[in-house]
Amino acid sequence: MYNFDFERPKSVADAVKALQTEEAQPLGGGQTLIPTLKQRLAMPSKLVSLAGIDEIKGVCKDDQNRLCIGGGTVHRVIAEKAMSEGFPGLTGLASKIGDPAVRNRGTIGGSLANNDPSACYPAAAMATGATIVTDRREIAADDYFKGLFETALEEGEIITEVKMPIPEASAYMKFEQPASRFPLVGVFVARFSDRVGVGVTGASESGVFRWTEAERALGSDFSADAVKGLSVPADGMISDLHGTAEYRAHLVGVMTRRAVAAAQ
Amino acid sequence: MPDTLDTHVRFGSNSGQPITRRDGRAKVTGGATFAADNSPDSVLHAVYVPATIARGRVTALDTAAAEAHPGVTHVVTPQNRPPLQGDPSDKPTMFSFRFEALQDDTVRYAGQPIALILGETLEAATEGARLLNPRYEIATPRTGLDEAAHYTFDPDAFGKPADTVHGDPEAGHAAAAHSVDVTYETAPQYHNAMETHAVVASWDGDRLSLDMPSQALSMTCAGIAYYFGIPAENVTLRSPYLGGGFGSKAIPTGPYVLAVLAARMTGRPVKMMLTRQQMFGPVGHRGQTRQRLRLGTDAEGRLTVLDHAGLSATSTFDDFIEPAANASQGLYAAGALRSTHSAVRLDVGTPGPMRAPGEASGSAALECAMDEMAETLGMDPLEFRLRNYAETEPGTGKPFSSKALRECYAQGAERFGWADRPLQPGQMRDADGLRVGWGMGTAFFPCPMFMAEANATLRADGTAMVETSAADMGQGAWTALAQIAADSLGLPLDQVEFRAGHSGLPDAGVAGGSGHTATAGSALHAAGGDVIRQLGEIAAADPDSPLHGAGNAGFTARDGRLYVAGDDSRSDAFADILARAGGAEVSGAGSASRAPEAAEAHAMNAHGAVFAEVKVDPDLCQMRVTRLVGAFAAGRIINPRLAESQLYGGMIWGLSFALHEEARHDPARGHIVNADLAGYHVPVNADVHGLDVISVHEDDPYVNALGVKGVGEIGITGTVGAIGNAIWHATGKRVRRFPIRIDDLLGD
Ligand SMILES: Cc1cc2nc3c(=O)[nH]c(=O)nc-3n(C[C@H](O)[C@H](O)[C@H](O)COP(=O)(O)OP(=O)(O)OC[C@H]3O[C@@H](n4cnc5c(N)ncnc54)[C@H](O)[C@@H]3O)c2cc1C
Repeated sequence: MYNFDFERPKSVADAVKALQTEEAQPLGGGQTLIPTLKQRLAMPSKLVSLAGIDEIKGVCKDDQNRLCIGGGTVHRVIAEKAMSEGFPGLTGLASKIGDPAVRNRGTIGGSLANNDPSACYPAAAMATGATIVTDRREIAADDYFKGLFETALEEGEIITEVKMPIPEASAYMKFEQPASRFPLVGVFVARFSDRVGVGVTGASESGVFRWTEAERALGSDFSADAVKGLSVPADGMISDLHGTAEYRAHLVGVMTRRAVAAAQ
Repeated sequence: MPDTLDTHVRFGSNSGQPITRRDGRAKVTGGATFAADNSPDSVLHAVYVPATIARGRVTALDTAAAEAHPGVTHVVTPQNRPPLQGDPSDKPTMFSFRFEALQDDTVRYAGQPIALILGETLEAATEGARLLNPRYEIATPRTGLDEAAHYTFDPDAFGKPADTVHGDPEAGHAAAAHSVDVTYETAPQYHNAMETHAVVASWDGDRLSLDMPSQALSMTCAGIAYYFGIPAENVTLRSPYLGGGFGSKAIPTGPYVLAVLAARMTGRPVKMMLTRQQMFGPVGHRGQTRQRLRLGTDAEGRLTVLDHAGLSATSTFDDFIEPAANASQGLYAAGALRSTHSAVRLDVGTPGPMRAPGEASGSAALECAMDEMAETLGMDPLEFRLRNYAETEPGTGKPFSSKALRECYAQGAERFGWADRPLQPGQMRDADGLRVGWGMGTAFFPCPMFMAEANATLRADGTAMVETSAADMGQGAWTALAQIAADSLGLPLDQVEFRAGHSGLPDAGVAGGSGHTATAGSALHAAGGDVIRQLGEIAAADPDSPLHGAGNAGFTARDGRLYVAGDDSRSDAFADILARAGGAEVSGAGSASRAPEAAEAHAMNAHGAVFAEVKVDPDLCQMRVTRLVGAFAAGRIINPRLAESQLYGGMIWGLSFALHEEARHDPARGHIVNADLAGYHVPVNADVHGLDVISVHEDDPYVNALGVKGVGEIGITGTVGAIGNAIWHATGKRVRRFPIRIDDLLGD
């Protein structure tokens, strides 16, 4: 390990200030960042831990029936609270991330900031039309994700909250890569009174996306059969040792149908 | 080693008892000392820098940056590497590999050591290695079987398999009423023992002391000694425990020689332990193969020809050619048999023997080709194999020393429920709608013996000590060999101290080829017999012994007493015999190898039959092996618990071969992209559902005095094919490549 500075502010304002140093980086639960540091894929000069900031932790419901999740909330808490607030689809997602250690440390803010092409939350954020709240603005999910590991976040910008409209019915289905349990492909389906959202993660070379064709089909008939004939082209899908582009394209269809069936 | 035996019920002899492994408790409580657990005073830590490209040249290293790092003591590169007395580019013995020990700046495969950093701490050395920041001139790597010219070679005993032809293959093809012509591929695999390669080396003058895992202690000592210009007896090697070897811990490789060199260079002990990633490169692997099988039968399904041509990958600088095609010799009664090998040089580390080298990959292709032949004939695959059952060794006509394969087929099929199998594929579904398929394969493995020596000493108190440099890789040698030794001395196991795992002991040969129990066990058996013979002479000559004068009748030893053969009323306790003789110890020696006449007279093999059930998700193509039943006949079983465990392990290995293990190369730079256990998947409990082993009784009077064949590798053979065939039976799809990937089943 090499040397770096470490700060643990108590407020968002202090964290933003601490992050103004050149090459400073926020540290959430460290479940992605610490291994990255170990492999020296990142070498920040300063880590600003967000773990001591109470104002970005916790889950509540606002008057627009949105689940408001603090950016520093860990997966385990999200899994519990989403259930009691009537959003079991998100519970299903959060409770299957990694293992208990990961779920007790890793945060939704870290996951969304990192935007790993196989991360689970981005699928839910896209499907529900979530709003990403930072220390300085609000960003719609459709504008937030910019490809593999790329987001609309600026240098030193902190995700303080995520606002997810709570669907009437929802489910997340992921095909797990056996060693890490990351999705090879994950699909989040959310049904609202006026629309259906389908967010797909793990599949595309351009990162998480909404499968609009399926959204339209499901909008008029929310059943697995409604998307039976649909498929996404293999072109532009990720191909790696876990599966070819064709296989991932195939999985998008299967996972969508299974998610719809589970959300009934 | 402390005696950690549980009490167990004994029925006369120690052999045949399912005793738990004697080193088990030490291992699970952390009491077992593995090589890297040794940290002598003033030890230096060595970390080598692996090349990240597969072909090219190192053009620059930031040696100054590495040297400047606090705690880094030495930076060794081809520019300043001290000389070795033996050239690593040579092959001093048949069993030597050529390897890289910083001879020059060429990169011949990814993972090759290109520099060595020594540090006061592991962290310092690791950081120094990173700071070296190598730059390369990159040439296009060749990592696929068609990316370089194929060649043939003159055979030699290790690494270059001979071609074998019996009968007239062309006539066999011409005479065939039915035939198949199929090509199968198998992927590169890396041993990945749980314990990575490790060594702690220290010098005292020209004497070298090594703590390192070794499955062939004296061969390792001689191998290392060569490079340092010292006699083999100057090397002391301790290898009490190994965390697995699988063939990769028999022959010294570059990293070991570099660590020993570093110790000599600095005058301090040096420790090196490979990271998991470093296991994918300089320490051997199973080379990828492509195998073409052409089978022909007459109208009734009798093989007129079994024609197996293997292409195997090796490195650009040495030859270890996976002898896959040899798997077609000795098993099925074909009118003509042909096994040929060719090779291709790729930018990969030199392959080496990996658990069932040749047999594993060869059997995979052979058993699938047999299944395809049965399909063509419209025959049940088991029926087809029985139709071609060899009563004598195919090609040579030699009798088998023993062969209970028919019983293996029958008992395995019965336990599995094979009789209910529909002939056509795609017929079975389970309650959840998953496709179900059943497949089978024959297991087959030779039972070689090597050379081994052992000593036995009967002490004045009637207990004994036996010694041989055996290697317990986890397979249970500490236990099974001790059982044999105790029987040879007529003592209960807890009266026998068993010393092994040290090069100062009599040479136990190599723990390989599934021949360790047979070979080292036979040497122990002979050593114990030698002691008992001498003890009998003492007793027979002693007027005060009840055995006086009974020498002609002969003696048997049992429970610490010597009996007149056939007369239980006359006996004398070991301790009493020795006490009257003045309290001296009696020492005996034994050695073992197979007499060439014996090897000529009989064909010696272990056999088995493996049955597999798979389930395939029709939407996801996900495959699960839900049941594996293996019935094996491998001569006398010394310890059923350990033998079963070996067979389980072999079958799981087969599952891994069939569905999981594959090193994938980056096309641009040639490095292995999945060089860790997250990307290189080996089965975990969740992958292994039903596993069932049947030990079929077999007496063999010819293999050796003990009747022991060996069980270390046979479980892999048969299993891979059985799983591949079951996947076809579930889906109707023949995937002619291992591992079968999830996307191979797409679109049916
Ligand atoms: C074994 C294992 C399995 C996993 N499986 C899954 C899985 O199945 N699905 C899945 O989705 N994820 C999985 N993960 C990842 C996990 O969800 C991580 O917790 C998450 O990706 C990162 O969250 P973190 O809080 O640990 O962030 P950190 O690792 O601390 O940080 C990650 C990145 O986000 C930045 N960051 C952190 N917090 C904020 C913030 N509030 N605002 C702005 N930037 C921030 C950091 O600077 C860093 O760049 C797995 C991880 C492991 C170790």
